Amino acid sequence: MPFVARRLLAVAPTVLVVATVTFVALQIIPGDLAEIMLGVDARPEDLARLRRDLGLDRPLVLRYVEWLGHLARGDLGTSVSYREPVSRLIVARLPVTLSVAFSAMLIAVTLALPLGVVAARRAWSPMDLTVLAGSQVGLAIPTFWLGILLLLWLAAATPLFPLQGYVAFRTDPVQWLRHLFLPALALGAERAAALVRLVRAAVLDELHREYVRTARGKGLMDGEVLRRHVLRNALIPVITVAGLQLGYLMGGAIVIEQVFGLPGLGRLLLQGIYARDLLIVQGAVMTIALMFALLNLAVDLVYAAVDPRITYA
Amino acid sequence: MTGRTPRTPTASRWLWKATVLVLVGALAAAGPPAGAQAPRDRFVFALSGGPDTLDPHGTAATLSFMVMKSLYDTLVEPDDAGKLVPALAESWTVSPDGLAWTFKLRSGVRFHHGKGLDAGDVKATLERILDPATRSPRRLQIGPIRTVEVVDPLTVRIVLAERYAPILAALAEGWGAILPADLIARRHDFSTRPVGTGPFTLGEWQRDSFIRLQRFDGYWMSGLPRLREVVIRFVPERAVKIAGLLSGEFDAVDAIDPDDLPRARANPDVRIITQLTSLVNVIAINNSRGPLRDVRVRRALWHAVDRRQVLKTAYGPDSVTSAVFMDVTSPFWVDLGDPYPFDPDRARRLLSEAGYGSGLTLDLALPQPYQPHIDAGQLVQAMLARVGVTARTRVVEWGFWLSRVFGGGEYDLTIIGHTGKLDPEGRLVGWGDAARNYVRYENQKVSDLIHAGRITANPEHRRRIYAEALKLMTEDAMMVILGSPARYVGLRAPVREFRQVYAVDTYDFRKTVK
Repeated sequence: MPFVARRLLAVAPTVLVVATVTFVALQIIPGDLAEIMLGVDARPEDLARLRRDLGLDRPLVLRYVEWLGHLARGDLGTSVSYREPVSRLIVARLPVTLSVAFSAMLIAVTLALPLGVVAARRAWSPMDLTVLAGSQVGLAIPTFWLGILLLLWLAAATPLFPLQGYVAFRTDPVQWLRHLFLPALALGAERAAALVRLVRAAVLDELHREYVRTARGKGLMDGEVLRRHVLRNALIPVITVAGLQLGYLMGGAIVIEQVFGLPGLGRLLLQGIYARDLLIVQGAVMTIALMFALLNLAVDLVYAAVDPRITYA
Repeated sequence: MTGRTPRTPTASRWLWKATVLVLVGALAAAGPPAGAQAPRDRFVFALSGGPDTLDPHGTAATLSFMVMKSLYDTLVEPDDAGKLVPALAESWTVSPDGLAWTFKLRSGVRFHHGKGLDAGDVKATLERILDPATRSPRRLQIGPIRTVEVVDPLTVRIVLAERYAPILAALAEGWGAILPADLIARRHDFSTRPVGTGPFTLGEWQRDSFIRLQRFDGYWMSGLPRLREVVIRFVPERAVKIAGLLSGEFDAVDAIDPDDLPRARANPDVRIITQLTSLVNVIAINNSRGPLRDVRVRRALWHAVDRRQVLKTAYGPDSVTSAVFMDVTSPFWVDLGDPYPFDPDRARRLLSEAGYGSGLTLDLALPQPYQPHIDAGQLVQAMLARVGVTARTRVVEWGFWLSRVFGGGEYDLTIIGHTGKLDPEGRLVGWGDAARNYVRYENQKVSDLIHAGRITANPEHRRRIYAEALKLMTEDAMMVILGSPARYVGLRAPVREFRQVYAVDTYDFRKTVK
């Protein structure tokens, strides 16, 4: 079987395990949908009635099997708290989260790659130390705090960026960029801080290798050695980590979506947990798991493009 | 190891700068600029969260009703004093036995899709709430309705199975919103495509981000609403709310944190309106647990806590203390003064009389994410420590709190706010019967009085009945009542006629202008 097909088949059980763990976890934590809906007004008779109306009084296993059955037919169910099909809720939100995650990654790579290379080429110079110190600070700052700072400095004080919200790319690309830039920057800065160390270490490692000396000995210019040889090799670990981080960024988006009022998957997941809306949580977690798995696969495929030694049969 | 970095040609450096400049310029020019105010007939309001649904019969969430108030109307509605006044119903009468309520509907009212309002809509609406398939969380609270009869096109009669004085208040709550019969019959999805008789129609709803409401030109109150568009943005972050108010991106923001008040007040373009909420904040006591079964211990807790200080520090300087389990703004509130004044010595004496002179350890559960309750808990903990009571605080997530603390009674003390109800029945039902209230308070007399209040139609008699019940509850010190917290709403200076309907905890934009 071709590599891609095999990998895709392996994704299904992973996602199913994630869904099952989510299902069990939500049963273990106290509180159910009916209790959250009725809040402090709940009378025992109201609760019992609502639980019956919502089907929460049926056995757990039955509900799980039922959910699996629907899933097999591609139906994620209808959310009780939102009163909308879960798939519709997810489809509306996925572009937001993907936009944030990908632009954060773009910012992270754009910052980390040149800075990491410069730092490695002038290792232990004041420039390098500044980059390292900056990366330390970047890692230490929580993203939500950086997000709030950016909001106060750049959105509230200047007309450059809006405070809240999201505009779809299709509706207006410029507005899309305006709404996306600050959350992506807040999220990307932290990833850049992590990535820059990796780039520096990888480039530094390669610069000491014999083939670099050989290339120089053959009379190649430094810049050319770096571009054609060093970076190509140094990029492999960087791509691996960046690819995995893209998955983490989808998780990081939960926090940043809350700060910037972005209607993404993270916010949906959070609302689902607060409301104990099982179907929403299941759907959102599965989507994130699926994205994670697909990104991993994509990273593997990119290897082959970067390193001709790697092929997938 | 390294050679010289190849120099970037000057030309390309210039190109970079130019690109950045153009980008910044393009972003700044892309209208509407964030800092500028919206046009005069467009009103932007920041709310802490969004609605879960726009189907009034599908939710019990306050935030949802705050939005739905602009989309739907009810038969009656509360005025600023909490009195019920005509809305879709022009007038109403009650049969002598209190079982039949006849409502005369206003003529010329139209739904958003053009249909005129008639008695059939009211009948279909009430039957929809009562239908188990609707899964309305308020199905039981609409009252013991037996039948709804269409007397003539503009007259509808609700027949009750037993006397139920709170029926009028139930019809004024957000979940009593009237929907059109034709769409109910077609199983229309009101949750995302609301159709009511309200002053605004739905323009666009981006879940968890914003909702845009547009003026309904056929609204039954002539000349209203005055705004062309209301945009409600859902802003959970406190820093963003205040920044948006100060910059002018928001015309109004809901529930400003007391700590942000000085900054807001320092801005000449911002006005703060302070209003008492219909909440009653309490330190709930589990009456069924060990030492707390003793009324002397419960009274000692009142004496140990400086209620005024807790209320004003944690919930804002304009909050008002109260000694009864009723909001200060309610016509049913009674003034008992300060029955258990702050007096640590007296608290210690009561505790030692009860046999706890050497100290007592209690659990204090505080609900996350309600920071004011957590702040209040820390103050209470320090005050109790002074009289020898060790309060072990634990902060619990809201779902956990509802399930284990509120539902399961697994706590000694907890701090919480009880939302307002139009009718005292809504607040008091179940009190006095230990199985039906979360502080496990048992008092047959109180239970009987509350039942009497439910079936008494005469408002003056009802007031006396409830006053008696409230007094008994405080005498039993069934929980430490703190009082009603204030709510701070921030407005940009030009905003006028911004109305809060505190009795049902919602906002009314019909007359708002800016």
